[in-house]
Amino acid sequence: MKDAVRIEQDDFSQDEEIRALQASSKRMGGIATFLGCARDFSEGRAVSEISFDAYERMALPEMQKLREEAISRFGLLEARIVHRLGVVRAGDAIVFIATGAEHRAPALDACRWLIDELKERVPIWKKETTPQGETWVTPHP
Amino acid sequence: MITVLFFGPVAERVGQSQLEIAFQAGMRLQDLRGQLQTLYPEAFALVSLAAVNGTHVRDWTVVLADTSEVVFMSKFSGG
Repeated sequence: MKDAVRIEQDDFSQDEEIRALQASSKRMGGIATFLGCARDFSEGRAVSEISFDAYERMALPEMQKLREEAISRFGLLEARIVHRLGVVRAGDAIVFIATGAEHRAPALDACRWLIDELKERVPIWKKETTPQGETWVTPHP
Repeated sequence: MITVLFFGPVAERVGQSQLEIAFQAGMRLQDLRGQLQTLYPEAFALVSLAAVNGTHVRDWTVVLADTSEVVFMSKFSGG
């Protein structure tokens, strides 16, 4: 089975991630997921692709820490986080988060918390390719 | 030597992703930042975060050790 927290170039299977999450416990009554995708339009411009750069030495441990914090903070049974690097074309998946708990509320809350914290704490940067050229993205809520 | 790494928009403005800086005993993170800021002011206008040896450091007065790996970073935009 693949690691619960990964940074990888290739696309991932949401089904595989959810199956792995479910396989971790039969007590799981609620699973929440977040899928972040590459938009084809941003800041009034068409976007054909997004490329990612990361400080992997810090990014992966920070994502592992986020998973552990989420499990403890929300009483999750399991959580998985996958983020892609390299070049992602418009419409493709970028990041996937899946959280499993005995009930839906903690799973949903943890999923939202994880993506918000990931954006704040994980050293990854995205650059959009537009007809006007390439632009590094400025963080926004 | 101290290895300084840059990523994303900071690397683009510096024009490279890695520099080797001579270590000086007692050198603080803020000293290194000041030294590089003079050379790459446009890049360091974006810098708001730093990491030493893979760990986010909030105290800019931390003393660096020889062979440290330092990263000066702009705000993150992953996800």
